[in-house]
Amino acid sequence: MKDCASDVEKKEITRRTFLKMATGAGLLAGLTGALAGCADKNPEHAGGKGWLPYQYNVAGNLPAQVRGRVPIDADNPSIVRDDRKCILCGQCLEVCENIESVYGYYNLPVVDETICINCGQCSMACPSGAISERDDTQKVFEALADKNKFVLVQTAPATRVALGEEFGLKPGTWVQGQQVAALRRLGFDAVLDTNFTADLTIMEEATELIKRIKGEVKKPLPQFTSCSPGWIKFCEYFYPELIPNISSCKSPQQMFGALAKTYYAKEKGIDPGNILSVSVMPCTAKKYEAQRPEMNASAAYWKRDNLRDVDVVLTTRELARMIKEKQIDFTALPEESYDQLMGEETGGAVIFGATGGVMEAAARTAYFLITGQEPPALFLNLTPVRGLAGVKEAAAEIPGVGTLRVAVSHGMANGRKILDAVREGRAPWHFVEFMTCPGGCVAGGGQPRTAVPPTDAVREQRLAALYKADASLPKRNSHENAEVAALYHNLLEHPMSELAEELLHTEYHSRADKLERLFAKVV
Amino acid sequence: MGALVDITKCIGCESCVVACRLYNGLEPGQNEGYRTAQDGNTELAPNKWTVIQSHRTEKSEKQIRRFVKQQCFHCLEPACASACFAKALQKTPEGPVVYNEKLCVGCRYCMIACPFGILRFEWDKPFPRVLKCQMCLGRLADGQMPACASVCPTGAITFGERDKMVGEAKNRLTSNPDLYTGQIYGVKEAGGTSWLYISDVPFEQLGFRTNVPEKPIPEYTWQVLRWTPFIFVGWGALLTGMYLYTKRRAGVHEEEEMYAPVDDDGK
Ligand code: SF4
Ligand code: SF4
Ligand code: SF4
Ligand code: SF4
Repeated sequence: MKDCASDVEKKEITRRTFLKMATGAGLLAGLTGALAGCADKNPEHAGGKGWLPYQYNVAGNLPAQVRGRVPIDADNPSIVRDDRKCILCGQCLEVCENIESVYGYYNLPVVDETICINCGQCSMACPSGAISERDDTQKVFEALADKNKFVLVQTAPATRVALGEEFGLKPGTWVQGQQVAALRRLGFDAVLDTNFTADLTIMEEATELIKRIKGEVKKPLPQFTSCSPGWIKFCEYFYPELIPNISSCKSPQQMFGALAKTYYAKEKGIDPGNILSVSVMPCTAKKYEAQRPEMNASAAYWKRDNLRDVDVVLTTRELARMIKEKQIDFTALPEESYDQLMGEETGGAVIFGATGGVMEAAARTAYFLITGQEPPALFLNLTPVRGLAGVKEAAAEIPGVGTLRVAVSHGMANGRKILDAVREGRAPWHFVEFMTCPGGCVAGGGQPRTAVPPTDAVREQRLAALYKADASLPKRNSHENAEVAALYHNLLEHPMSELAEELLHTEYHSRADKLERLFAKVV
Repeated sequence: MGALVDITKCIGCESCVVACRLYNGLEPGQNEGYRTAQDGNTELAPNKWTVIQSHRTEKSEKQIRRFVKQQCFHCLEPACASACFAKALQKTPEGPVVYNEKLCVGCRYCMIACPFGILRFEWDKPFPRVLKCQMCLGRLADGQMPACASVCPTGAITFGERDKMVGEAKNRLTSNPDLYTGQIYGVKEAGGTSWLYISDVPFEQLGFRTNVPEKPIPEYTWQVLRWTPFIFVGWGALLTGMYLYTKRRAGVHEEEEMYAPVDDDGK
C-alpha cells in the first residue's frame, strides 16, 4: 500500500477519466491503470467528515462520561424522538438512570419490550428538542371539525400554572380562566375540570385508607397513591410484590373519563358513543395510561365495546400548539369559568399538581371522615410534605385514631428509598405518595420546556402558584365539593359503593416477566 | 482491528446509528426523523451505513425481542474488493475495508459479490457511489474506536485487536454457557470477518445469513472477474449515456471540457 502512495496521482482513475476512457480512445490504457492501481496513504474515502460530541472522542476503550441515549420504541404511546435532531449528548440517559432509576436497573438481554415508564422526563432534559411527546393534536382537530361529535375536555390541576409560559408569561402564572376561554375558542363542546375528580379521588382514596387502617379492607399498609401512571408502571416492573399496597383508585384522569361517558352522558342526554373524551395533562405517561386495556369502564357500563374512557390525551405543550395554530391571542383572553356538573374544584384538588399534594388533600379528608370535624390548621398547611426535598415525612394526630404517619417522594430514584424500606418491613407509614416527576405534576414530562433541563426555580414558582390558589379558595377540602356530593347523591351513593368500585377502581398487574430486575444499579 | 457485538447487551437505542450519521456527515432523508411502529425495520441505505434491526422471536417458549446491529462485516478477504477492478474497495492492513469514491466507476460488481448484501448504491444521484461502513478509519488512525462503538451505552460493542475480540468472545461463551448459544458469527463466515457477533438466540432466528460459505469468497469471484472487460464496455456506454443526459438537464458548465478531445495520459 505504502509503496504506491507516491504515484497515486497518475494511477487514480476518476469518474471523468473513466467516462472518457469508456467512450473510446483511452480504454486499454485506462483499464490497465485501474487494475494496477492502489489507494493513496490517506485515501480519499467516503465518510469521516462529520463530528461527534467531545465525550466520545476518547482513545480506545476508556470510559466516557455519559454514553448514548435512552431507547424509545417506535410504538411508545407517550414519547417520540426525531433522530435528525439528536446530538447524542446523553442527557436523556442521565435522567432516566439517575432521576427515574429505570435505565440501568434491569438486566440484559431485554426480554420482549423496551423498558420505559413513559414519564417523559427525558423529553424535558433533551437540549435539542429531539425527544417530544407523541403529537395527538390532529385527532382532536378532526373531532372538533366533526359536527356529530361531542368533544369534551378535562384539564389537569398542573396545566393552569404552566400553560402561560408557552405564551411568554412568567413561570407559575395562574392562567386557569384563560385556559378555559382558549378551549372554548378552539371549539370544545364542554370544558370541564379534572379537579372535580381529584376531589372524588380523595373521597375514594381516604375512605380506602381508613378501611385499611381499621382492617375492613384486607390489604396491607402503607397505602400507596395511584395517581401517577409512570409510578404505577414502575411498581409493576420493579416492585410487583408491593402492588397490593397501591390504592385501587384510578387516577383522576381515568375517573373523569369513566364518568364522562356514563354520568355526564346520562345527565346531559348524550349518546356516549358520540363523545370524544379529551384530557389536557402535564404528563406523557397519561397517554399510555389512557390506553391501558382495563381503562374502559364506560364500555362495561353500557355493555358497548370500543368505548374508551379517555380517547385522546394532550400535553400542556400540545394544547399550546393548538392555540398557536389557531392564532388565538392567549394572553388577551378573558378569564372564564368551567362548565357545570363536573367542573367544581376545591383547594385540595388544586394541590394535586404539587409533590405532597395528593397526600395533604387526603389527610384533610381522612381527618374529616374519621372525626366528623373539619381538619385543624395543621392539616390545611401540612408544611413538612411541601417543598422539593426528595423524600418527606410527616406525622399528625387524629383524635380517636392516633398518629397518622405519611411519607412523600417524587422522582422514582427517591421512590426506591421508600419502596425498599417497605419491602424490608421497616416502614412506619400509613400512607405514601409517589410522584414520578421531580416536583410532581407541575414539572411533568408534558409541561412547557421553560428551562432545559428543568430547574428547581421554575418548579418552585409553579408550586407556589398552586399553594397560593389553595389558600385563597373558599373551599379547601375535597369533601366540601358540592358537585362531588351531587354525584354520590345521584349515582354512586357513597364512596366505594359497588358502582363506585366498578367505575372508579381498578387493579394492577405485575410486569416482572418483562424484565429481569436489578435492585441496585450495576456500576 | 475488530469489533465484537454482544447481541444480549443491545437495548436498541440506536445511538450507534446516530453516531455513524454524525461522524460520517450522512444527511438524513426528509422522513427519517420519527419512526413509527408501522415503519418496521430500517434497512441499510447509502446514507445509513449501520442500522439496528429488531427481531421478535421465541426462546424457551417465551416471546423475546433482540436487536441486531447491521453494517459491513469488513471481511478478512473481502469479496467486494476482489470484485472491484478499479480498486475502489480495498482491505487496509488495519482491518477496515475502505471505499474510495474517486476510484469507483459505478459498475456495482462489488454489490453482487458481497455475501452479506451490505453495499448500497446511490440510485438517485447523477454520480452514484456505492456506500457502506468504513469502520471510521480516520478515528482508528487517532487511536479512537469507531463512532458507533464509542457511543454504545451498554457496552454491546467492544472494539480492539481482532484476535483479542475472538478471545473475548470465547471468554464470554465459556463463562456463561447458559446464556449464549456457543457460536461466534464471523470467525469463519466468508473466510472470517472483522465484525464478530455472539448471541443467546441462534443466528438464523435473527436474520443472519447462515449459508455464507466459509471459504473466502475471492476464490470464487475471480472467475466472475474474468468477464470484466466485456461487461465493462457495456456499462461504460450506458453510464456515458446517463452522464450526458443528466448533464444536459442540469445545464452544463463543463461543456468544453466534456467534448474536448480525450488526452492520452488519462486525465
Ligand atoms: S420516558 Fe421516562 S422511563 Fe421512558 S425513557 Fe424517558 S426518562 Fe426513561
Ligand atoms: S437528550 Fe436528546 S439530544 Fe441528547 S442524547 Fe438524548 S435524545 Fe439525543
Ligand atoms: S461485508 Fe460485504 S461489503 Fe463488507 S467487506 Fe465483506 S464483502 Fe465487502
Ligand atoms: S448503541 Fe449499543 S445498545 Fe444502542 S443500539 Fe447500538 S449497539 Fe445497541
